[in-house]
Amino acid sequence: MMVIRLYEGNSQLNDDTVMDVVIDIQNIRKSYLLGDMEVPILHGINLLVKKGEFVAIMGPSGSGKSTLMNMIGCLDRPTDGNVMLMGKDTRSISDNDLAELRGFEIGFVFQNFNLIPRLSAYENVLLPTYSNSKVNLDNEERARDLLETVGLGDRLDHKPTELSGGQRQRVAIARSLINDPSLILADEPTGNLDTKTSTEVMDIFSSLHKGGCTIVMITHDPEMEKYADRVVHIRDGYIENN
Amino acid sequence: MLDPLQAVKMAFGSIGSAKLRSSLTTLGIIIGVAAVIANVSLGASFNQFFNDEIGAVGSNFIVIYSQNTNVFFDNELELIGNTPGVVGVSPINQQMAQVTYLSTSRQIDIQGVNEDYSEVANFEMKEGTFLTDKDQFVAVLGEEVALDKFDKKISSKNPIEITFRREDGGVVTQKFIVKGIVKDPETTFAQTGVEPEIRIFIPIDVMNGILGVDYYGGFFVKAESLETVRSTGDEIDKRLARNLGVSGRDLDDDDTKPYTIFDQVEILEDTNQLSSALTTLLTSVALISLIVGSIGIMNIMLVTVTERTREIGLMKSLGFSKKDILTLFMIESVVVGLIGGVIGTALGLGAAVLVNNFLELPNIFPVSQIGIGFVVSILVGLIAGVYPANKAANMDPVDALRKE
Repeated sequence: MMVIRLYEGNSQLNDDTVMDVVIDIQNIRKSYLLGDMEVPILHGINLLVKKGEFVAIMGPSGSGKSTLMNMIGCLDRPTDGNVMLMGKDTRSISDNDLAELRGFEIGFVFQNFNLIPRLSAYENVLLPTYSNSKVNLDNEERARDLLETVGLGDRLDHKPTELSGGQRQRVAIARSLINDPSLILADEPTGNLDTKTSTEVMDIFSSLHKGGCTIVMITHDPEMEKYADRVVHIRDGYIENN
Repeated sequence: MLDPLQAVKMAFGSIGSAKLRSSLTTLGIIIGVAAVIANVSLGASFNQFFNDEIGAVGSNFIVIYSQNTNVFFDNELELIGNTPGVVGVSPINQQMAQVTYLSTSRQIDIQGVNEDYSEVANFEMKEGTFLTDKDQFVAVLGEEVALDKFDKKISSKNPIEITFRREDGGVVTQKFIVKGIVKDPETTFAQTGVEPEIRIFIPIDVMNGILGVDYYGGFFVKAESLETVRSTGDEIDKRLARNLGVSGRDLDDDDTKPYTIFDQVEILEDTNQLSSALTTLLTSVALISLIVGSIGIMNIMLVTVTERTREIGLMKSLGFSKKDILTLFMIESVVVGLIGGVIGTALGLGAAVLVNNFLELPNIFPVSQIGIGFVVSILVGLIAGVYPANKAANMDPVDALRKE
């Protein structure tokens, strides 16, 4: 009942798809204050991502795609409008609960990997569980399995500096999966990689997608379009086609 | 909720990743804590030293003496002996007299006392026994008198001759048989004139008989315990004053009383006051260095937080809450403080041992003070960490992630 009430008035939905919606962005606006001037970045964006979809968000730099990703990832709150994540209204959620939501439901993959240099590959994968840990998962076994899955089963104790760029991004992907999230949010995951390793990394995303993962990827590389079910183009803060 | 074990592990990892910087920061705390611990335990050692010294003069003692003759008689002796809480009292008279043994003569302080004196003064005998009230012309010597003062060593049963000046101006020489020798006390501080090693003790009745007097110069009293010394002394004071016709309101005025009374606790309090004033002064100086050390921690934590801005952004995006980030950096700050505290405590105690051995003081390490060292270092870490950790916790994840 509650879920239906939350989706009241959204024309994109009918009842049997409600449970399958991962992201439902409702007319969000975001503007930043530069001095006393308000600079609008996003102008009323609507976006719906269903469970199991692989969506690519494309756009040139300055188009607002990073801001959109921050909204989806609950790292920032919209100036207006609403972000529904797994049926939860994020407007009414406290910062603490929002952090927990990120920890359990969203797996981030960044362009520059963002691994902690002091920690081994294995510890980097475990890092999210230090704060949010699902009781029904054996974190340590899962971390080893995930590193095995991305082909780094023999690199558990290597520090990030002892790994290549492609290997680092694979560690980051394993980290994003540790809490079995509902959504993988990847921000230019191949932006710092050469063509060959980009392909390797994208193959991993592909197989995750085939395994049922919901993935939202931000990219400006048209080459990456072919991996996605759906491409959303964003330009100057508007979505061009959906 | 942050896993505390992992948080501590991460703190150690972070501290270990910048070893030189961490050691220099820790050094500030080490010096501060070491200085505090060393000063506090030195203070305790000094206190114990003073207490031992005063204990060596006698236990639970009260001293009463008069500058005038003809103040104290048998009546007062009896009065003091009957005061509740008194377990022993010896009257005392003293005179510098010429003492001759074989062919040598020396001027030595002769003390007339009774058999209680040994107990009041905590005497241990090197040989023989102390005087009893039945003794006549026998003497007990201080160790130094027996061994060093004369050309030949004196031992028990040797005869000595003592030449007294009588009150009426006559001179009397009397032979005494040595009955025993008193061991030197281990310590040498406290008042001069209470040093048993350069004195000769004879029965006071014999001494007064020779001198032709019937008054006493003073009394050496032993109370039941250190706790009752003060009240027993006050009671004696009251009784003596009444007996000698001093009015109640002059009781506290030492100038109008014909005698002076003081007890062990008074001396202890005086010396303790002195040593605690000294300890307080030194400890406050040491605390300043601890404050400087904590500013060092705060500074380095701020550097760490700035350096790790992107990591903080990452952790926030991975689901670490404000409280988690705050805890993480607070733990790191406390760990730095605690490492400094552990090493500083060890160094401080080591320094105290060195100084104690050098000054021949007793080694006193109250556990509570070592505990204070730890608590203080944890507190320093906590206080120094609050601002940097807050700064980290309140970072905006988007800005933090964007930082190069």
